[in-house]
Amino acid sequence: MGQRSGRQEISKRLELALNETMKAEADVQNSKEEAEEPEGKNQRITLVFGVADLKNGAVGLYNVGQTCCLNSLLQVFLMNIHFTGILRRITVPPLAVEKRRNVPYQMLLLLEKMQCGKQKAVSPIAFTYCLSVHGVKLFVQYDAAQLFLTLWNLIKKQMKKLDLVEELSYLYTIGVQEHLACQKCSFETKRNSSMLTLPLPLLDSNSHMLKTLEDCLQYFFRPEELTDENMCFCGQCGRKTPFLQSMKLVHLPQTLTIHLKRFCFEKSAYIHKLSHYLPFPQDLDFNAILTENQCGADGNEKAGWQYELFAVVAHSGSTSFGHYCAYIRSLTECKWYCFNDSEVCQVSWDDVKCTYGHSSLHWGETAYLLIYMKKRPQ
Amino acid sequence: MAQWQEVQSLANAHLEQVHRLYADAALPMVVRQCLAAWIEDQNWRQAAEPLSSSAARMLFHSLLALLGEHLGSPGLGDEDFMLKHNLRKARRDLQATFEERPEEFANLVANLLQEERRILRLGQAGGQAGAAPAPSPAPESNPESNREQQIQQRLAEFRTALQEAERTFRHLEEQQDIFDFCYKVHYLPGEDRTSDPEYTRQIQVLQAKLQILDRQRREVLAQLQQLLGRSETLRDFLLQELQAWRERQQRACLGAPTDTHLRPLETWFTELGQGLFQLLQLLRALWELQLQLTYERDPLKAETPLLERRLKELLTFLLQRAFVVEQQPCMPNACKRPLVLRTGSKFSVSARLLVRLQDRNHDMEAKIHIDRDPPKIKGFRKFNILTSSSKTLGAGDNSKEGLVCDFQYLTLKEQKDSRTGKGGKGAGEGPLAVTEELHLITFTLAYSYRGLELELETSTLPFVIISNNNQLSSAWASILWFNMLSSDTKEQQFFSTPPPAPWPRLAEVLSWQFESVADRGLSEQHLLMLAEKLFGSKASPESALAWNKFSKDGASGFSFWAWLDGILGLLQEHLKQLWKDGLILGFVSRKKEKKLLKGKRTGTFLIRFSESILGGVTCTWVEHPESGAPAFRAVVPYTAAELASLTLPDIIRDYQLLVEENIPENPLQFLYPDTPRDEAFGPYYSQRQDGNLTEQKKYLNRRLIRVSSRQANESWQTEEDLVTATENLETLQLQPSGLGTRQPHGLGTRQPHGLGTRQVMSGNLGMLQPSSAGPPPGMAASPGSLQPVPQSLEPPQLPQGRSGVSEVLQPGVGDLEPQVVLQLVTSGQGMLQVGPAGVGTLQVMPGDTGILQAVPQDVGMLQPLPRDVGMLQPVPGAVEPQLGSEAQGMLQLVSQDTGMLQPVPRDAGMLQPVPQDAGMLQPVPRDAGMLQPVPQDAGMLQPVPQDAGMLQPVPGAVEPQVGSEAQGMLLELRDLDLLPGSPDMQELLQSLTELEPGSGTLGTLEAAELMPDMSETMAGGLEGLSPELAGKAALLDPHDPFLPQPEDASLPVINSLFAGAADFPPLHIDASDFQ
Repeated sequence: MGQRSGRQEISKRLELALNETMKAEADVQNSKEEAEEPEGKNQRITLVFGVADLKNGAVGLYNVGQTCCLNSLLQVFLMNIHFTGILRRITVPPLAVEKRRNVPYQMLLLLEKMQCGKQKAVSPIAFTYCLSVHGVKLFVQYDAAQLFLTLWNLIKKQMKKLDLVEELSYLYTIGVQEHLACQKCSFETKRNSSMLTLPLPLLDSNSHMLKTLEDCLQYFFRPEELTDENMCFCGQCGRKTPFLQSMKLVHLPQTLTIHLKRFCFEKSAYIHKLSHYLPFPQDLDFNAILTENQCGADGNEKAGWQYELFAVVAHSGSTSFGHYCAYIRSLTECKWYCFNDSEVCQVSWDDVKCTYGHSSLHWGETAYLLIYMKKRPQ
Repeated sequence: MAQWQEVQSLANAHLEQVHRLYADAALPMVVRQCLAAWIEDQNWRQAAEPLSSSAARMLFHSLLALLGEHLGSPGLGDEDFMLKHNLRKARRDLQATFEERPEEFANLVANLLQEERRILRLGQAGGQAGAAPAPSPAPESNPESNREQQIQQRLAEFRTALQEAERTFRHLEEQQDIFDFCYKVHYLPGEDRTSDPEYTRQIQVLQAKLQILDRQRREVLAQLQQLLGRSETLRDFLLQELQAWRERQQRACLGAPTDTHLRPLETWFTELGQGLFQLLQLLRALWELQLQLTYERDPLKAETPLLERRLKELLTFLLQRAFVVEQQPCMPNACKRPLVLRTGSKFSVSARLLVRLQDRNHDMEAKIHIDRDPPKIKGFRKFNILTSSSKTLGAGDNSKEGLVCDFQYLTLKEQKDSRTGKGGKGAGEGPLAVTEELHLITFTLAYSYRGLELELETSTLPFVIISNNNQLSSAWASILWFNMLSSDTKEQQFFSTPPPAPWPRLAEVLSWQFESVADRGLSEQHLLMLAEKLFGSKASPESALAWNKFSKDGASGFSFWAWLDGILGLLQEHLKQLWKDGLILGFVSRKKEKKLLKGKRTGTFLIRFSESILGGVTCTWVEHPESGAPAFRAVVPYTAAELASLTLPDIIRDYQLLVEENIPENPLQFLYPDTPRDEAFGPYYSQRQDGNLTEQKKYLNRRLIRVSSRQANESWQTEEDLVTATENLETLQLQPSGLGTRQPHGLGTRQPHGLGTRQVMSGNLGMLQPSSAGPPPGMAASPGSLQPVPQSLEPPQLPQGRSGVSEVLQPGVGDLEPQVVLQLVTSGQGMLQVGPAGVGTLQVMPGDTGILQAVPQDVGMLQPLPRDVGMLQPVPGAVEPQLGSEAQGMLQLVSQDTGMLQPVPRDAGMLQPVPQDAGMLQPVPRDAGMLQPVPQDAGMLQPVPQDAGMLQPVPGAVEPQVGSEAQGMLLELRDLDLLPGSPDMQELLQSLTELEPGSGTLGTLEAAELMPDMSETMAGGLEGLSPELAGKAALLDPHDPFLPQPEDASLPVINSLFAGAADFPPLHIDASDFQ
């Protein structure tokens, strides 16, 4: 009997921990409503979500119909404590129908299921159902970058609270300033815009392969002359003139998503995949990559441009048919995991490096989305 | 090994964890132990899933039944009474607790097993990592063994995961069989039975079963995806190790001391290969499953081909890399200098396939090709490989040694027409010399295993093909240069534009040369001296040496490499032990040498290599006169020729400096810095035979020593003086200017002292009487003659003469069969007639600066080098001096100008130069010349020197085989077309890809428009039967209720959800949102 009582104690303890988490979460919600001072709130959030992330170990997601792409992205979202911190504060829709159609709510439910269950994997069927209501169908192969944007927009759109929307935007969006300067009269226009991902080309204008991620970034931010048929109309000159187009980086978010444009279009509309070798670092310092001219930010902002790799969404196979998996570094444990649908295993940086690509291997895993996380200021 | 067994063999710390795990568990350890194998073989995880409570119930009851069986079995004796009791109790408890919720029990067991595996992993990792508490990826002190451990650990994990996948597959198979059966029994299409509640229930059950089957299929696929991902990492690890091995092999070829065995790599590659082939079979079996039973959106149908392609690509890549050249082409007698092959000489080469997997009934054929893809260089020689160029790797006979394609006894033959278009030999040749022409041998292997057929290919490192031994040195220089600097091991045009070598790299490689020849590399000091010699005082790590500077140009008439290789040769032949033991300081500049010796006491000496003479070693000592600056003296360097007769330690021991009014003394007292001479060199002295005085002896003992003589009160201060002085020292040891390379001070300086001093040593064994300025008999050109006539009637002596100064050399110690040393160098006009003991006569009558070197002792080298019109007539006496009769002799004749050589031995068998090789004589006189070795009784040898390479020996009774190597080689240069680099890959790519359309506007989020229209079709629109549906296979209609349904019963069937319009949310983020 001693054995048994021991076991019960343990399960009790577990329940207790669960209860605590839930209470804390409830507190958070309450406190938000009570409009407590923000600092204490944040502290409590990190407390709660520091525990919440991976409390139950890494949990897989069943493939419920070509959902490897969705599963990988979901893992990337849900392993990000900064994101779950926002997600847990959403308002729950009152009606059952709305609940079923609400993407953030379903995502939260899924997260709960992953964290509370004891299974090695859970099924995201309810979530996929919810998505299909919004036009993201099952049994369709998606491009991870595109699906990421879709998901993100859905989440943003369906969050009712404005402050959460703002936080979400702040967490993910990149601010750039676009400059267009007429080469004839030095007339210049500026425009601020935001992006969710940095879509980096892997080839330069001569179709030469760029060597590293840093090269790609530099190439992305290089000024470009718009001549010939690309000439723009200059209001000052009154005609089409050659322009110099340049881009300045204004703001980098906490969670920076980089999209390696490995899928390449040809004239024949045939898409092929670039599987060549492109190494990316674990630590990324934008100040070391971009020149002074390419930054449009103050010193404060720039001091925070130190990133470390958080996740890699990798693709294997060809353009027409493939498989996605995600390598994610747990923010609490600082260990890498590989999520292959329902299969999850702990891996090392060496495994992540395998997604650099290889020019003579076209079917292997290659990194497609890189998600970098801002380092904590030291 | 079964998991439970492995768990039990864990270390105590980890066992403790297992105990703790089971202390709290509802499954008693006694049950786990009792039914270990059965428990591990069930799929508890899957049974724990919701919807599969029937499976869980079945498992639970099976377990109880098995326990009951166990209890009833007679195998349990009395001593197991307690065990029986515990089992009974456990059974009762389990039944009480889980009867109603078997899926909880399944979950419990699944978690326990998983936890066990985790502990196992930790334990095994800990055991491998030794004391390391956690398997953190922190860089360890020894990265190599760390990597080895990582590979082993990953291989173990790979095996475990593979077993796991196979187990899952077996369950899937069972599941499918069950479903198949139920389906055939219960599903009756065509009739409308919707009203029958029983039927509806059956259909619902079927639906649930299919749901589980579908999930299980997806699970297996996810498992395989994960497995493939991990094996890719493993592949990268192995390839990195292989690359490291390749580099090691390349270094080892250059003489670096490194380990190149392939055993661990072979084990790893084979293990991974085996696992991947197993995986391939698993995939094929999955495909079979899909053929038996499929349904709409069957994941197996879609994903298995993808996995298979990925796996095949991985396997192909692995196999191709695993085919390596194990032994680079090498001639059997030149193991230390591989990659240099000589036409007509045997060589061997072998390749190995590191993945040792072969079908029993399938033979594989390996072939070799030389220069399969020859570079487009004009005049590039073409060769054929003689003897068989293919080989069959039979199954079974390679079980021990692996899959090795070993080609022995190959020879190369140049194709006749290979020089076409060059307009004959010597004219219009391209820029590539023979020794800069790089060739490749390519191995191909038609590999086939378990249905995978590949042609594997691997190439050797580039090698140089020579036709003559004297090209060996410069060929080796090319090999050094290539392997030191080339990154592409197939770059046959490397020497079209050879890059310069950074000094640190070169220094390392040079050091390896010494290490491989004499077991001791070059020290910092040595390298410093060499760097200064090459780059002057501004030598730095950034200095780089051009190829021409290394192997071709040289201020002193020979290149840096030729000089170094001369020293290497000297070390190899004569000074290996001294060098190995560090007694030779070796590379010391004169300046440095002075600095070192200045502070040492008189008689301190050091041994260094000559910088002015090829393959010379010399001693320099210091003398402190009573007043004035210290004086440094050096002996004219000894070369292989001298050292062959007398070893360096013996020379040092017996060295005498003769000053006219003093008694001879040995100036060499202390080896630098201050080791007494005999202490340093004692172990190396050869044994002396002390004369036995009581015995009546025919001859007195004698021994061969080196002396120098100089005028008293001579002194040298400056370096220039020293040089002259060295010349003036009149060493009786002769300077063998074999190649006529360097005689800086000409004859003028030497002459004044030349005739003045004569010293006969060793009990006046011989005497030289030069009679100068007299025309020699029959030789008008030679204005002087020298006739040493020994006084006593001593046994055979062969004098050594040098325009007036001679030395009597007495080889050997005993009086029986003295080994003869003959060194004749006539550098002035003069005739040298040596008549030893009146018995035999030796006449050397060279003209101008003719040099004759006959050193027939061990090495047996006879090198008459008459430079001008000259005549050489060695006429040995009847008895003793046996010219090269003992050893293999070699006659090297190089007459630069018109020259005549007439060795006339009086008796048969006196002159028997036996060539080392196949009897090829290639004297290449530049002008008209004549070479006539005429053994009197024996035969006649008449090489016609006008055309190189012709030898016409006219043998008599005894056939003189004259082997001589042509010196002053004419390098065969040939045309070289500088080709523009091969068509750029990039261009190809450029043509293939199109640039991203330059986006003029930002703010629009660019989403890659990858929307393959794969299986976009709606569920509702799908009808029709799959064409592959064969008799047994069952196809489910999309409208069928068997289609995958969401587990949650409250949700509608997925299929019905897809009717919605494809309204994608906007891909734009509104910029205004953020402003």
